[in-house]
Amino acid sequence: MLKIILPTIMLIPLTWLSKNSMVWINTTAHSFMITLLGLPLLNQFNDNSLNMSLTYFSDSLSTPLLMLSMWLLPLMIIASQFHLTKESYTRKKLYITMLIMLQIFLIMTFTATELIFFYILFEATLVPTLIIITRWGGQTERLNAGLYFLFYTLVGSLPLLIALIYTQNTTGSLNILLTQHWSKPLAESWSNNLLWLACMMAFMVKMPLYGLHLWLPKAHVEAPIAGSMVLAAVLLKLGGYGMLRITVMLNPTTSSMAYPFMMLSLWGMIMTSSICLRQTDLKSLIAYSSVSHMALVIVAIMIQTPWSYMGATALMIAHGLTSSMLFCLANSNYERIHSRTMILARGLQTILPLMAAWWLAASLTNLALPPSINLIGELFVVMSTFSWSSLSIVLMGINITITALYSLYMLIMTQRGKQTPHINNLPPSYTRENTLMAMHLLPLLLLSMNPKIILGTLY
Amino acid sequence: MNPFALIIIMLTVVLGTLIVMTSSHWLMVWIGFEMNMLAIIPILMKKYNPRSMEACTKYFLTQATASMLLMLAITINLVHSGQWSTMKPLDPTASIVMTLAMAMKLGLAPFHFWVPEVAQGIQLSSGLILLTWQKLAPMSILYQISPTINSTLILTLSILSVAVGGWGGLNQTQLRKIMAYSSIAHMGWMTAAMMFSPMMALLNLVIYIILTTTTLMMFMMNSTTTTLSLSHTWNKTPLLTTAILATLLSLGGLPPLSGFLPKWMIIQELTKNDNIILPTFMVITALLNLFFYMRLTYSTSLTTFPSTNNMKLKWQLNPTKTTIYLPPLIILSTLILPLSPMLILLE
Repeated sequence: MLKIILPTIMLIPLTWLSKNSMVWINTTAHSFMITLLGLPLLNQFNDNSLNMSLTYFSDSLSTPLLMLSMWLLPLMIIASQFHLTKESYTRKKLYITMLIMLQIFLIMTFTATELIFFYILFEATLVPTLIIITRWGGQTERLNAGLYFLFYTLVGSLPLLIALIYTQNTTGSLNILLTQHWSKPLAESWSNNLLWLACMMAFMVKMPLYGLHLWLPKAHVEAPIAGSMVLAAVLLKLGGYGMLRITVMLNPTTSSMAYPFMMLSLWGMIMTSSICLRQTDLKSLIAYSSVSHMALVIVAIMIQTPWSYMGATALMIAHGLTSSMLFCLANSNYERIHSRTMILARGLQTILPLMAAWWLAASLTNLALPPSINLIGELFVVMSTFSWSSLSIVLMGINITITALYSLYMLIMTQRGKQTPHINNLPPSYTRENTLMAMHLLPLLLLSMNPKIILGTLY
Repeated sequence: MNPFALIIIMLTVVLGTLIVMTSSHWLMVWIGFEMNMLAIIPILMKKYNPRSMEACTKYFLTQATASMLLMLAITINLVHSGQWSTMKPLDPTASIVMTLAMAMKLGLAPFHFWVPEVAQGIQLSSGLILLTWQKLAPMSILYQISPTINSTLILTLSILSVAVGGWGGLNQTQLRKIMAYSSIAHMGWMTAAMMFSPMMALLNLVIYIILTTTTLMMFMMNSTTTTLSLSHTWNKTPLLTTAILATLLSLGGLPPLSGFLPKWMIIQELTKNDNIILPTFMVITALLNLFFYMRLTYSTSLTTFPSTNNMKLKWQLNPTKTTIYLPPLIILSTLILPLSPMLILLE
């Protein structure tokens, strides 16, 4: 794994020592090369993991997420070029350095073997994200957004630290590969219930669970484009990944403790989807749609069946790419009209036809159109939830309908209909933006042909 | 101050602390404390104004009372055990009184009231010595008597200190008071560790001293004592804004910075001894500390704080302050966490 981590660390000197005119080119090109370096990891065993060293390993669950975060770094850099044009080169390099630092921590998080190492890096991802949101966000509300983001996550995750250290003292090791085979069933007791809560709340806040989701709309809306992309695509999946790893140690308490969170998620996904129908702010709509999709992932992980784990993993990857693409599209709007209000720029299909094609593709994948991997994920989750409880099909069906409703609402509101008169002289789409959308869409389409790689460990 | 006088006084401060740390006779320990306290009074009084006189008087009164309590503890120990050696275990009553004396010297709650007020009334450089060097002697005494410390007492001191340090700092804008409440909270963490593993308390002390020295030296470089003047750092030394951000986040205990290491180790020691509720409470109150450090970073590094236009036109003069210690200190205060496996050397 050092063959990926060291080049990523060396991207920082590359940023600072590049000539000013070559900063964007160098960083984008080299981060693409690092992504290429990571592709061989996709050659996974069926029932085992690739163990690189004592500290790093990659199995079928962490590799798709790792690939997603590595793929996203060049896309984030491409997406940030416009809003940083007026800044001095030092500030541009600082911004790119923050993105690269975040990437280093993410790569190490997804490949960490030991859970405390995972925890330290999980927390470490907070600092660059906080700096990106608070320093480079657009509006005054970003200060509040950064505080909410930091403190919600920390209040959830500090009990996780204590729970992990306690588990290490009782079971002797927190190595993920060992806990799979060593974990004893937890006895039924109040303290084990509290242990379960301490372990899971950090990831619930990160996902986010419906009742703890207040930080997400704030953070997503106020973050600059790269911040929104990485938040939606990768940082939320840290919660899912952590939950998938740690539930191995928490049986059978999960089957009794999971009910409140399942209820919150099942209800929350409908609530947040419905809120999407009433949003005026485009980024806020996409943020709430993220909460809704992640609620499906939480339900899937709580059920703990093979199909639901497969669905959760597939949904995480699919949602990461889709949500990031939607944020890029919303940002392309924002760069032109400097407002996130949806109704200000309508009928964009007439003015920017190629961008309308990307909007269509993104909205269709968001509402889980077959044969995209979004559908595979959602379908697996719906099927496994139905087998858990037949009544849930009602809630899931309502959610799918409302998801389709707001995705099409977003599409029709921004693209179709008569254009507002003042958008006639918007600049046309840049090649950079089209590249960005194509880079998001291509993995989505190609993965639909071979979803085996994103179906996780239980395939 | 006259340089010769300053050297003699500083050496007396150092000598006092060294006598405390290295003597085997309890009376010499008391003498060391008195020497230390008397010598530091002129340092606290570098400027002649009523505010520093008030700070010095408060410091003198509390430290003298604490020294008298120390003398009482030594006498009780003498009565019960008949000897003055520091190597032998202390009598339990003497241990309680001595812990209270050290708590007063360190500024642990509920004896913390002097810390913010003394820290506020003195120069930044004197504040540096007060908050870092002056903690060495009492902590060394606590380390020596740690086998016999009454755990209820030290637990109470620790819980109260982290709570007071967290909540007390929330309403402050003066940087010296913020550092004082930060010191109270960190002392609370150290005494909690002292119950089970004095070595981790020393680790916390060392890293706390490095972090506080870095922070106060950065404040001295800017000559700032208020949040408002700290927010002008972007104009004076832009590079320092990043350093202040990193150091303050490290003080707050965020991974992957150094400040996380003592918290992690202390939580590990506490959970090894089946103490789960205490570290949970301590980490949650540490978040209060993090909040007011975040407020400082918000005004300094992460935003351009509103200021009047003539504050934005500072003269860029040649720097005259010695900043040679600052770069290695900044590195030490942010990048030590990967060296944590070296703690195995402590075994």
